[in-house]
Amino acid sequence: MLLALWLATLAALGWAVAMHLRVETDLRAFLPPPRTPVQRLLLDQIGKGPGSRLLLLAIRGAPAADLARLSQGLAAALMRDPQFVLVANGGEDLLSRLDPALLPYRYLLTPRFDAQPLDAATLHAALEQRLADLGSPAAALLEPLLPSDPTLETLALARRWAPPQAPALHGGVWFSSQGAALLVAQTRAPGFDPAAQATALAALRARFAALPDRGAARLEVSGPGYFSVVVDQTVRRSVDRIGALTTIGFVLLLLAAYRSVPSLLLGALPVATGALAGLTALVLAYGGAHGITLAFGFTLLGVAQEYPIRVLSHRSPAVSAVTSVRALWPLLRTAIVSTAIAYGAFYASGVPGLQQLAVFAVAGVLAAGLATRWLLPPLLPVRVRDAADTPGLAWLAARLDALPRPRWLPALLLLAALAAIALAPGPFWQNDLGALTPVPPALLARDAALRQALGAPDVRYQLLLQAPGADAVLTLSEHLAPALRGLEQRGVLAAAELPSRYLPSLAVQRARQARLPDRAALTADLAVAERGLPYRPGLFAPFVADVERARALPPLTPAAFERTPLGARLASMLVTQGGQWYGLGALVDVRDPQALAHWADAQGGGVRLLDLKATSEQWVAAYRARILKALAASAFLLVLAVTLALRGPRRAWHVLAPMTLATLLALATLRATGIALTLFHLVALILAAGLGLHYALFFERDSDDAAERRRTLHATLVCVAAALLVFGSLAVSDVPVLRAIGLTVALGVGYHFALSLLMAPHRHAAGAGR
Amino acid sequence: MRYVGVLTRPLILHGELAWLGGAQLERDVAAPYRETTTIDGNQVRVVRPGQPPQDFDLGRAPELKGLLTGFRALLSGDAALLRATFSVSVSGDARAWTLQLTPRDAALTRRLAGISVDGSGHALRCLRMDQSNGDTSFTLLGALATSALPATPTPAELATLCAGGPAP
Repeated sequence: MLLALWLATLAALGWAVAMHLRVETDLRAFLPPPRTPVQRLLLDQIGKGPGSRLLLLAIRGAPAADLARLSQGLAAALMRDPQFVLVANGGEDLLSRLDPALLPYRYLLTPRFDAQPLDAATLHAALEQRLADLGSPAAALLEPLLPSDPTLETLALARRWAPPQAPALHGGVWFSSQGAALLVAQTRAPGFDPAAQATALAALRARFAALPDRGAARLEVSGPGYFSVVVDQTVRRSVDRIGALTTIGFVLLLLAAYRSVPSLLLGALPVATGALAGLTALVLAYGGAHGITLAFGFTLLGVAQEYPIRVLSHRSPAVSAVTSVRALWPLLRTAIVSTAIAYGAFYASGVPGLQQLAVFAVAGVLAAGLATRWLLPPLLPVRVRDAADTPGLAWLAARLDALPRPRWLPALLLLAALAAIALAPGPFWQNDLGALTPVPPALLARDAALRQALGAPDVRYQLLLQAPGADAVLTLSEHLAPALRGLEQRGVLAAAELPSRYLPSLAVQRARQARLPDRAALTADLAVAERGLPYRPGLFAPFVADVERARALPPLTPAAFERTPLGARLASMLVTQGGQWYGLGALVDVRDPQALAHWADAQGGGVRLLDLKATSEQWVAAYRARILKALAASAFLLVLAVTLALRGPRRAWHVLAPMTLATLLALATLRATGIALTLFHLVALILAAGLGLHYALFFERDSDDAAERRRTLHATLVCVAAALLVFGSLAVSDVPVLRAIGLTVALGVGYHFALSLLMAPHRHAAGAGR
Repeated sequence: MRYVGVLTRPLILHGELAWLGGAQLERDVAAPYRETTTIDGNQVRVVRPGQPPQDFDLGRAPELKGLLTGFRALLSGDAALLRATFSVSVSGDARAWTLQLTPRDAALTRRLAGISVDGSGHALRCLRMDQSNGDTSFTLLGALATSALPATPTPAELATLCAGGPAP
């Protein structure tokens, strides 16, 4: 009856959670919360910045002419796909057209008449060129443009807006020196949202697959969005494989330990309850959860499997399950509360993803503990095999009891651990988030090669312009442009793309308007310019009308520009944050960042070189300080809770001392093997400490009953084996984050088990307890 | 010779037209200005002295692509390619013949009304391209290119010349 109710509740919860749980995939949830406007901007840029949304594409494996055709076909297909904001393959040629919405503004946008005015001489030179155009093969295409645009300003603007540093053209499209056709495509989806990126990538591949006559040509993709998908898939695959393996191992382990299928099945219920409770808490608190939260959350919740294991191992034929749980409960309760406190530390980190993790793990551990105490015992079979009678266990217990326990050993280990931690060479902390990337080095190398071949903007450096308004940013951008060109010529960087490249400031537009000739002057100039050329009289009346119209137009504002198809590019370079406006200059191939930073600092505020890597490293370091504080607070709470539960510092010392020493030893081992610590190592150390605390708690409960002590040993051995199974398999994963966690926890569990066994109060001489 | 709607008199260009084999063609204008156009497959590059080269794709200029296909098919003797793109009618005799090419593709017809090729024996004399918008161009080849022409020849005069008539 109880079982049916329990299962029904779980099923109902499971259904409700499945209906409401939204799984997020944006990796930025695991970045520290931004503190300053610049950090907020950085966080925004990391996800949504133009650089992070740029996919670099290469088509290779076919004759150049075929590759060029495929490149054109793919570019045309992607331009029609709303998932892509911008596609470029070098094919933006002579005949690229200006967006019709910008047509009337062309004389305000073009810088070509800043130096030489639109006068008779300029017009005459242009008209001579047009005559040659009419005799050229492009005549039929240019002819319709002539009446309204004799200087071909529309084409000049389109060319001006083509990417600043383009690869070599073959067959009209970009080619690498290795003979691959190159393209870039900017997705609408943020770069670090693997789910959205996967959709865009699937569309991209489908578009390529739909091209006719592909032959042996293949499409290669690179860029942040692609990497986030690769990482997501690698982690998912790894987690799935490990999950399947450890589940099988776990079942076999429990069957071997308890030789009872009902015990096995019932023993799984508390953790299942915990998992569903955790998910429910996430749905209630956040409406959803991050995919990584779930993956780590289930790992952390694995600790709760220890509660039913303890209950199962401590059953004896003499007493009912309900009675034996009652005897075990004070310890279990301490274990549950201390785990909840340890996991609670993640909440104080302030990182959204870790906060979700804390909510999930704490709710899950509490629910699993309560289920173990109140729901599980009445359901367990009445007749059980005493775990104390497990063959070989008595022999093992005697051997372990007989181990020497020199009093100086802990002190020596402590000294050795501290020495290793303090003296090991190499950095203590790993601040470079890139070190944790599970992206294969070959893919990173390919990305670097493609990026260089394409002259794609640097992902590390950006120029940050700050001003009180959007137009002020544009003015600043215009002011900086000549100096940046100087820096380009000096080889400090290859190219810079500032927002003013797309839209001049209002003041510049007004100045250009003021310089445009009025109708009478233009008509007179045109008459002079046409002299000796065979243009039909009155042909250029539309041009005269357009110039007249441009003189009276209200200047184009950023908001209006952003409504045009090109607007997405400006929108990504001109952003507002906390009442300030920021302009983001994309930089290509920054060769001397120091000189660039120096120049930026000398511009009198408002300009700075944004180094995403350095900023994110400082940020990670600052935020680690906060996590360490949270950990210190939770350690204090833990000591307090254990001391209270064990009614005094003496017994608490027996529990806390091995736990602390084992944690230090694990840390020392990591240091001695040259591993720089990341956030994930910290998480893993805490997880191991939680497990170790349990071992120490139960070993500390010294009993005169040798059978009961054998049950404790049995339970602990099953727990240790289970933990080693799970984390040992994580340790051999190919995902650096999982490997770091697995290795650290497996190491920690080993130390915790050994030390809690050796440092437990030991009143019984070897063999005397039997 | 190009007759363009927006101009009051025809454009007369002198230069060389060379077929480099395959899909490659070079067109050098020597007078009244200098310009070199190279066509390779679908890619056209126009180079004028003192200016950056301009590139464009023939996909955007179907009439030109049709003309080139016809020209290539003629020079390489690829009758199949010629008939695949155009309906072909022949008139005249071996001494003075005319091929009238009408595009089969409806999209091409919107831009290109037709091409006629005049020749005598194995030599090409004239290429005439009629665009659907009324613009017409004559390319006089071989001996005809150097023949004396009036300052502003009319299309009719040129047609006669191409057909083997006397120089106007």
